Amino acid sequence: MKRYLPAIAYFVVAGLAPLVVKDAFFLDALVLILIWGAAAAAWNIAGGYAGQVSLGHSAFFGLGAYAAALAVTRWGLSPWTGILIGAGIAAFTGMVIGFLSNRLKGPYFVIATIALSQVLLIAASRLKGLTSGSEGIPVPFRPGFWTLGIADKSVWVWIVLVLAILVYLVQVYLERSRRGFQLAAVREDEDAARSLGVPALHLKVAAIAVSAAFTAVCGALWAQYIGFVDPAYVFSVDISIKFALASMIGGVGTALGPFLGAALVTTLETTLRAQFGGVGAQFIGTYLILYGIALIVIVRYAPRGLVGWIGERWGRREAKPA
Amino acid sequence: MEVIPQLVVSTILLGGLYALIAVGLTLIFGVMRVVNFAHGEFLMLAMYAAFWAFTLLHMDPYLTLFVSLPLFFAVGWVSYRVVMRPVIHASHNAQVFTTVGLSILLQNAALVLFTADAQFLRTDYYTVVLRLGGAVFNLAQTVAFVIAVLATVSLFAFLRWSYTGKIMRATAQDPQVASLMGIDTGRIYALTWAVGITCVGAAGVLLAPIYPVYPTAGLQFVLIAYIAVVLGGLGNMAGALIAAVIIAAVEVIGSYTIGTAWKEVLYLMLFIFVLVVRPAGLFGQRGAEALGT
Amino acid sequence: MSLLSVSGITKSFGGVTANKGISIEVGEGELVGIIGPNGAGKSTLFECISGFYTPDAGEVKLDGKRITGLAPDVVCRAGIARTFQKLRPFQGMTVLENVMVGALTRTKDVKHAREVAREWLSRVGLDEKVDTFARTLSTGQRKRLELARALATEPRVLLLDEVTGGVDQRTIPGLVQLVRDLHGRGVTLLVIEHNMRVITAVAQRIVALYLGEVIADGAPQEVARDRRVVEAYLGQAYVQ
Repeated sequence: MKRYLPAIAYFVVAGLAPLVVKDAFFLDALVLILIWGAAAAAWNIAGGYAGQVSLGHSAFFGLGAYAAALAVTRWGLSPWTGILIGAGIAAFTGMVIGFLSNRLKGPYFVIATIALSQVLLIAASRLKGLTSGSEGIPVPFRPGFWTLGIADKSVWVWIVLVLAILVYLVQVYLERSRRGFQLAAVREDEDAARSLGVPALHLKVAAIAVSAAFTAVCGALWAQYIGFVDPAYVFSVDISIKFALASMIGGVGTALGPFLGAALVTTLETTLRAQFGGVGAQFIGTYLILYGIALIVIVRYAPRGLVGWIGERWGRREAKPA
Repeated sequence: MEVIPQLVVSTILLGGLYALIAVGLTLIFGVMRVVNFAHGEFLMLAMYAAFWAFTLLHMDPYLTLFVSLPLFFAVGWVSYRVVMRPVIHASHNAQVFTTVGLSILLQNAALVLFTADAQFLRTDYYTVVLRLGGAVFNLAQTVAFVIAVLATVSLFAFLRWSYTGKIMRATAQDPQVASLMGIDTGRIYALTWAVGITCVGAAGVLLAPIYPVYPTAGLQFVLIAYIAVVLGGLGNMAGALIAAVIIAAVEVIGSYTIGTAWKEVLYLMLFIFVLVVRPAGLFGQRGAEALGT
Repeated sequence: MSLLSVSGITKSFGGVTANKGISIEVGEGELVGIIGPNGAGKSTLFECISGFYTPDAGEVKLDGKRITGLAPDVVCRAGIARTFQKLRPFQGMTVLENVMVGALTRTKDVKHAREVAREWLSRVGLDEKVDTFARTLSTGQRKRLELARALATEPRVLLLDEVTGGVDQRTIPGLVQLVRDLHGRGVTLLVIEHNMRVITAVAQRIVALYLGEVIADGAPQEVARDRRVVEAYLGQAYVQ
């Protein structure tokens, strides 16, 4: 139980914060921290636990965002239905990519995922009839829980907190279960794992599909929360990198790492945006320069991120590769 | 059918430039087994170098080329020493993240220094065209093509006949054996990286008078280069050349027949199709994509 | 009827034919050795049996059921486990976790797998290393780990690629004893081995490969004396 205390503390604090702090700027940041945390953790299922590094996860994020937005604006459905549709489409796309992963290893897989997100970016920009093209889709605000028209940001915190905890639990499952052990073996040495009877391909496909589905749910909730979807953002390489970066900083292949990483990354970003908003918008880029340096340094000196680094110092089990 | 000569000319001109970008990338992969995700950012930096040399010093881009070649060789060498050397024996994922980190760093340094606005390098002869047998050649594109071909040919000659080039190829084949033979593989890696960056540095200078310059300008070109490199078979130099021309043809013909809006989708689809059907690339050895993982 | 039946296996890579119509029968509880100089096709044969290569021709049967062309993990679950010549422990896992991966192929329960793994580790003599990382083990210990890991999948046939290769002289007797023990417990073994003294001592039968073909198949002493084997494999040094 002890090893889960930091995570429990993290989620409890996040859940109670809206009761104490009513500041809109803070709550907004908290919602984003949890959404990006959940998305980074979803990425971590594929990139960390299954070892299938993708730099095209924005494909799934965008599919979710568009499915939810289109469900509301074009098909007259509840956004919740849209979320499920998005998750379904993303899971299917993830399965296809997962099957490709058997033939495409390492850098090949990375390039293929980037290409996928680019195809979707172009398709979403050009299929004007369906997506309104690069202008994007404003999501109308219809008050009510089932329409996700929620003005109170505290409620948003709790909604995305549930999602974050779900993704966290999937990761914990991957650390403790039979399938998790087998997946770890595949990540370490796929051929050796297969020689021991581990159905490597099925596990990778499943991991990528689950990762894709959760990423889509994050995208869908994000779109409903922000109220606007445009292809250049939701399918960008930038947000794919953001998922990977948050995981790397917090600790790739650890359950809590992506959430810590996302908290750091989002806080820095929001603060700088507030500082430099409007004039001097170019200076917002400074945090990205820091991210670039952080990534290079972490890969070299702390390959298991903050969680690994802290764990080593405290000699806790979380530092050990699961 | 009058358009055919024009389509052919456009394809060849475009293909030459793509090839120069792709050749540096595939050289680095072939020798070091590293995919450089910051390749496009070096291209972008070279475009800015040409732009600023032109704007501030009124240097013609083709003159800048002579300065940029040694400059980008140095940039490559230093970036290898500082960033790449520590991870050269690390896992693929560590290498991917390192070059991605480098990419984020360079791209946003450009953003902060130069803003996101697109800049244009307009020479006096920007609009000059040559005519030959029904086809029109843009002068800047033609010069860029000729220089790109010269650069690519000299790279091939260097690898084929020079002593250092032979050592690079030996290292590509088997780094362990190469190092047993007394080859300083660390030095070869640094050299390879620097030569690859020099190629893309030259390409950037050549592209600057033709395309707008902005911090993310590298992405569109480098994506094409990745695709060329994968289609050609990672590490296969000649394959990358042919693939670059194929992509240019798909792009040119696609733009002509179904409009420019969907041209990228065409080669991305071609790419994904080839990945599914023949992941080793059109000219790569089967199974090569699974090597060294 | 033999438990593992390999018939007419042929496999070529480009112009090189690594296996030319190889046939080997291994009976239940038998310990068969495979010898041959480098490039004889021993490892290729193992890859074909374990599902990592699909042979161009020929078939592999386990207990009468055809398993040719099945994926490696399916072959393992069917009952054939293997070790690798170039050892491949899961470096980032503990010794126990390494073996658990094997055990989890036969049980769904993680706790049970942990117990099974401990048992196998104690049988191969790695009790004290249970919680250390696999990457810290010596070559001899890694061999034992790979053995335990493969055994945990409860194979009907175990393919061992180079039991004594790459380990120092002092560890060889222990490993040989371990193989003997396994055989004594009724495990069916097919063993590639370079060390002639080791293989003649443990194997009931030896198959000699040369240039992708079987050139001798019989009792260890007979095969060791076989003229073709001596010429092809052992060379002048052994004759002296």
